Amino acid sequence: MDLTNLYYSLRLILPEVIVSVALLIIVIADLILHRDKKSIPYIALTGMLAALAFMITDLAQQGFAFIPSKSQHMFGMVAVDAFGTFFKILIIISSVFIVFFSNSSLEIQKVSDRIGEYYTLIYGMILGMMFMISASDLILIYLSIELLSLSSYVLAGFTKLRDRNSEASLKYIIYGAVSSGIMLFGISILYGISGTTNLMALNKFFQSPELNLLTLSFSLILIFAGIGYKISAAPFHFWTPDVYEGAPIAITAYLSVASKAAGFALLIRFIRTSFVAVVDAQGNWILFDFFDWRSLLIIISILTMTLGNFSALWQNNLKRMLAYSSIAHAGYILLGLAVLSVHGLIAIMVYFLIYLLMNLGAFFIVMLIADKSGSENIDDYSGLGYTSPLLGVALSIFLISLTGIPPTAGFIAKLYLFIALVDANMIAVAVIALLNTVVSLYYYVRVLKHMYLTKPSASTSSVRAVGINYAVVLILTIPVILFGLYFTPILEFVKNCISILSI
Amino acid sequence: MLTEFGKIFVFLLVAIIFVAVSIFIAKLIRPVRPTKEKLKTYECGENPVGTPWIKFNIRFYVVALIFLIFDVEVVLLFPWALSYKEYGFYGFLVGIIFLVILAVGMAYEWRKGDLEWARPKPNIPYLKKIIKNQTGEINQLQSEESKIE
Repeated sequence: MDLTNLYYSLRLILPEVIVSVALLIIVIADLILHRDKKSIPYIALTGMLAALAFMITDLAQQGFAFIPSKSQHMFGMVAVDAFGTFFKILIIISSVFIVFFSNSSLEIQKVSDRIGEYYTLIYGMILGMMFMISASDLILIYLSIELLSLSSYVLAGFTKLRDRNSEASLKYIIYGAVSSGIMLFGISILYGISGTTNLMALNKFFQSPELNLLTLSFSLILIFAGIGYKISAAPFHFWTPDVYEGAPIAITAYLSVASKAAGFALLIRFIRTSFVAVVDAQGNWILFDFFDWRSLLIIISILTMTLGNFSALWQNNLKRMLAYSSIAHAGYILLGLAVLSVHGLIAIMVYFLIYLLMNLGAFFIVMLIADKSGSENIDDYSGLGYTSPLLGVALSIFLISLTGIPPTAGFIAKLYLFIALVDANMIAVAVIALLNTVVSLYYYVRVLKHMYLTKPSASTSSVRAVGINYAVVLILTIPVILFGLYFTPILEFVKNCISILSI
Repeated sequence: MLTEFGKIFVFLLVAIIFVAVSIFIAKLIRPVRPTKEKLKTYECGENPVGTPWIKFNIRFYVVALIFLIFDVEVVLLFPWALSYKEYGFYGFLVGIIFLVILAVGMAYEWRKGDLEWARPKPNIPYLKKIIKNQTGEINQLQSEESKIE
């Protein structure tokens, strides 16, 4: 690889370079500012905004970075395209919110002497996720998943203030180690069969008629298990409630949005680049017929959402309930992927954009209330709508949006998903998803009932959002309402971002 | 006909059978004369003192981790130095970036005091007594554990 190639590649992955440099700057700043570390969140924020600015200006950029010099094909390790940039923008936006979350979180403030490590690890996660999104090589996929996982294992138990915090971290690392081992085994088998780790080269390999179907399917299921763990799809979701409940809320919110988005982007790119033979005029992806991705995805997604929704019904801890709800949402999104067409892709991207706002918002308000009252139990929410009106109303809006009732943005997200399903003649599946939404209504509205239809008890505290928190709540609430009524801009934005680099 | 993986499987099978058979035959023909010395745990000729299941100081692991990082660095640096001619300035640049990042890691450890064996103030975490109620459930834990620093 020569210098011009390197320069070209680095130009393509400029946001990642900025993130890496910002990571190093935070480490060095943490070392220099030994006593007063108040400026570290601002350094972190600056780095994120710089990366965001570069991504928005280079939205249309496309190309392969890091093409091996001695290979026959011209496919690189990193595929930069609008689809990837869209998901990277989502991740940076949620990271920006997480900085604000962490700044006002009581849990994180208690460990403010280790705030340098905290933001370093957050940046480690960002870097891992960004490479995960644009990785087009199995080795890079594995490495970026590990980078993301290792940072999030530490962050899940970062505060060390409670036993359940360490429990979350330990459970996360054990499940994570097993699943990454399984995924690596799958990758090794796939490499053993095909002799390549590049996703495009895999696509070329799959075009040949002689395939060892049994071994191949086995390896694909193993790889799917590894990705399924990251997106907490049904048989691999066991870690989710415990980790989400035990981790600091800022990290829980981050895991439920950003880490999941990166996992989905990886899964979509993996299927789109390796298994799609042709894309027809209507934008449907015609897959190679040796492996039935559609049935697998449908089964997994129905399992995921049913399990998530029905488990959430019994939860009294709001954090745990939101954890199960995020499992259910992963199910809906998987259904969008099961459509296997451009319309499904648009639905997924719209869903993620809106899911980011409403889920982060719900977690933020749960965090503000937990900081005041000391727990996330639903009993502490009795009469909250009267003692702290702003947070009550905002939380209601987020929960209604998570259910998917108009006029909130959650309705638009679900609407596009169901339209995509019905267009693809998957009506039975759409009905199951719809029934699931009805089930989810119960546990979301139960919180509303506690907030508005019960008298404030002694344990109910009046929470006033002050200053910056007030602004963050509004910034998250207003789009949820606005996009519910006027959603053309996000749809246009998403439609500009659907191109995935492939053969 | 055997596939490539089939050959490995046969190899594996033969290896397992070979070990099992040789152990079994050894058991049949070897003399059994145990003495006190023979039955002791083998510790390079020394008499074992105490149980091996003791707690090691956590700092051993920190030092081991730091050692591991720089050990891996050396493993990567040798091929880097040897293939310098082939990759030219590009390879040099990549190696330097790698070294700078590792140097920051080194500076981090130094500054945080992980390289000093006798740290100024050991901050020993302790768990307050867990109060159990009649049903045996740990209810008081919530209020107690938040005091742990």
